[in-house]
Amino acid sequence: MNEVLLIAKKEIQIALRKKLIVALAVVIVGLIGVALYTGYVAYKQQKNIIEHAQKENRTKWLEQGDKHPHIAAHYGTFVFKPKTILSLFDFGLDTYTGTSIYLEAHYQHEFMFRPAQSHSSVIRFGELSVAMVFQILIPLLIIFLAFTAFTEERENETLRLLLSQGVLYGTIVKGKLVAYSIILFVIVAPFFVIYFMLSMVITNSGSITDIGLRIGFLIVMYMLYLLIFMTFSVWVSMRSSSSKNALLTLLTCWILFTIIIPKTTANLGESLYPLPSMKMYKEAIQKDVRLGVDGKTTKKDRQEQLKNEYLKRYQVDSLHKLPLNFEGIRMQSGEEYGDRIYDIHWQRLIRIFDNQNRVSSLSSIVNPYLAIRNISMGLAATDLNTSIHFQKITENYRRALIRKMNLDMAKNSKYGEFYEYKADKNLWKTVEGFQYKTVSVFETLQLYLIELLSLCCWGLVIAILIAYSSHKKRPVL
Amino acid sequence: MLQAIDLTKKYGDFVALQSLNLTINEGEIFCLLGANGAGKSTTINLFLNFIEATDGKAMINNMDVAKNAKETKRLLSYIPENLMLYKNLTGLENLHFFCGLGGGLQDKDMLEELLVQSGLQKDFIRKRVSSYSKGMRQKVGIALARARGAKILLLDEPTSGLDPKASNEFSELLLNMKEIGVTTLMATHDLFRAKDTGTHIGIMREGLLLDKFESKDVSFQDLEKMYLKHMHN
Repeated sequence: MNEVLLIAKKEIQIALRKKLIVALAVVIVGLIGVALYTGYVAYKQQKNIIEHAQKENRTKWLEQGDKHPHIAAHYGTFVFKPKTILSLFDFGLDTYTGTSIYLEAHYQHEFMFRPAQSHSSVIRFGELSVAMVFQILIPLLIIFLAFTAFTEERENETLRLLLSQGVLYGTIVKGKLVAYSIILFVIVAPFFVIYFMLSMVITNSGSITDIGLRIGFLIVMYMLYLLIFMTFSVWVSMRSSSSKNALLTLLTCWILFTIIIPKTTANLGESLYPLPSMKMYKEAIQKDVRLGVDGKTTKKDRQEQLKNEYLKRYQVDSLHKLPLNFEGIRMQSGEEYGDRIYDIHWQRLIRIFDNQNRVSSLSSIVNPYLAIRNISMGLAATDLNTSIHFQKITENYRRALIRKMNLDMAKNSKYGEFYEYKADKNLWKTVEGFQYKTVSVFETLQLYLIELLSLCCWGLVIAILIAYSSHKKRPVL
Repeated sequence: MLQAIDLTKKYGDFVALQSLNLTINEGEIFCLLGANGAGKSTTINLFLNFIEATDGKAMINNMDVAKNAKETKRLLSYIPENLMLYKNLTGLENLHFFCGLGGGLQDKDMLEELLVQSGLQKDFIRKRVSSYSKGMRQKVGIALARARGAKILLLDEPTSGLDPKASNEFSELLLNMKEIGVTTLMATHDLFRAKDTGTHIGIMREGLLLDKFESKDVSFQDLEKMYLKHMHN
């Protein structure tokens, strides 16, 4: 048998006889199972609730009866971010940003602005998800598996015996890496098989390609991440003077990577780019609506200007003589002005989020955990970018709906009459049901170029380090 | 078979081995005697290519060990003072693993037989090495050398810490190996073992080989006197 495989076989034999490793592996497999099961139950429940609520809302909208369009606009509707099978893997920020939003005239209701109420949601993690097990706990298993890779060989003096057989240092490194890879593969492969099968069964045929690609990328990215951790652990073991030192170094790195750096960067991002409070945010919008963007043109002035513009355009001296209901025009104009102000404030908020995210992205250069965490949320479509994208689509939908109601009122009712005019089902039907489709996997990955680059660089640097060290290394005597 | 040509090892100003010239022919057992720090282990480590020579060459079968590390290691078997095997594997598993690496026997029945021939009790063959005594581990080492068909044995204080019976058994195993043409270089403190087992003896002090002779030419008492004389000069 090939030397690398022989060493790998021996490593696996020894690992299987170490109670701590076996216990840890069992715990991790159990946690993956629990996370997968609870994730699936939550996914099914939420999917059912969302589908049911969406259907019910649509029926309610269509069967709301005859009423004035503006009342219908206030009657509003709920829209929901559809749950994908990917959210079962990584809950991401969904729990904090929410997945539904109420749409009505004049108001952009809260959905993704929850962070503006208190803190950035990026710092609040902790739920047990499969992603969490892969990102945090499997690296811990790797540490316990690999910290003695070389130190134990040296401490027990088996390394000398190994090398006296003519085995090269590099061969020992490869053998150990192959062994740990096989152990990890045995632990995680069944999960990916089950997950892939579930995805194919649950997902409707239309999005199979995108979901399949996302799962494919997730597998590749996680494999790369775990390989980085594994090679790093072996390298630390190779460079450490004792098993105790190797374990201490690796655990310190693990704590730094998974707890300290993420918390610090999230807090740093918040300190550097603070979000306004919800109260301040809303007050600023209301103030701009009341006083105008320039702070001088009040709502009353704007309405007066609009009135004069329409009287002039239609060459009449009274609003009653206009061929359309000025109330509808006024409302739509007010709506559009409000939208303009909302967009200005929203863009400001998005810039703050972007800046906070940039801090996290840049930190991923020194921390592969942050890189995989961001990529994972992105691929699972549970990240902030997807949330913002969903917000954008719902807002467009809301605007189109309100516009339709206002224009119907302007076109079909008379100035001065309000409760007299009633639209019916035919108008409600013209508003199509809400549909949401996430951006494509390639568009998503473009948002995470720094993180992708970080993982690749880490992989490359660690590979070079271990190759260099094993080439240079002479037996420790 | 084994040849040291002006072999020198220095650590900064400290000379661990000074211009060692030595030839050990096939079937000879050369015992290096000397106190701690005399350069015995350094000599063995140089033949193993575990450390780089500052000057000179260590040759095995006319091949420079530094230039032909893999080829020369195929020919030798190394047993340190305290042969450590993988504790979580059995004696047989250890032997099977190391034989696989060194290109030796792979048949488990034959390996088991070799372990028995090397003196390991049958009950222990399939027990984990963590329950082995030092003597038992040394026997696995000898079995490994035999299974690999090693032509050269490099032994670094192999009987240190063994009880007289185990030590004697080990000597017998070495003599058996000699009979089949195995060349041995053994570093030891044990004058009696050197006289009893070795065909040749060398006395080292502070990195220098002070004396070398055939063991049959000296009695044990003479050897002791010579050794002490070199140590006190």
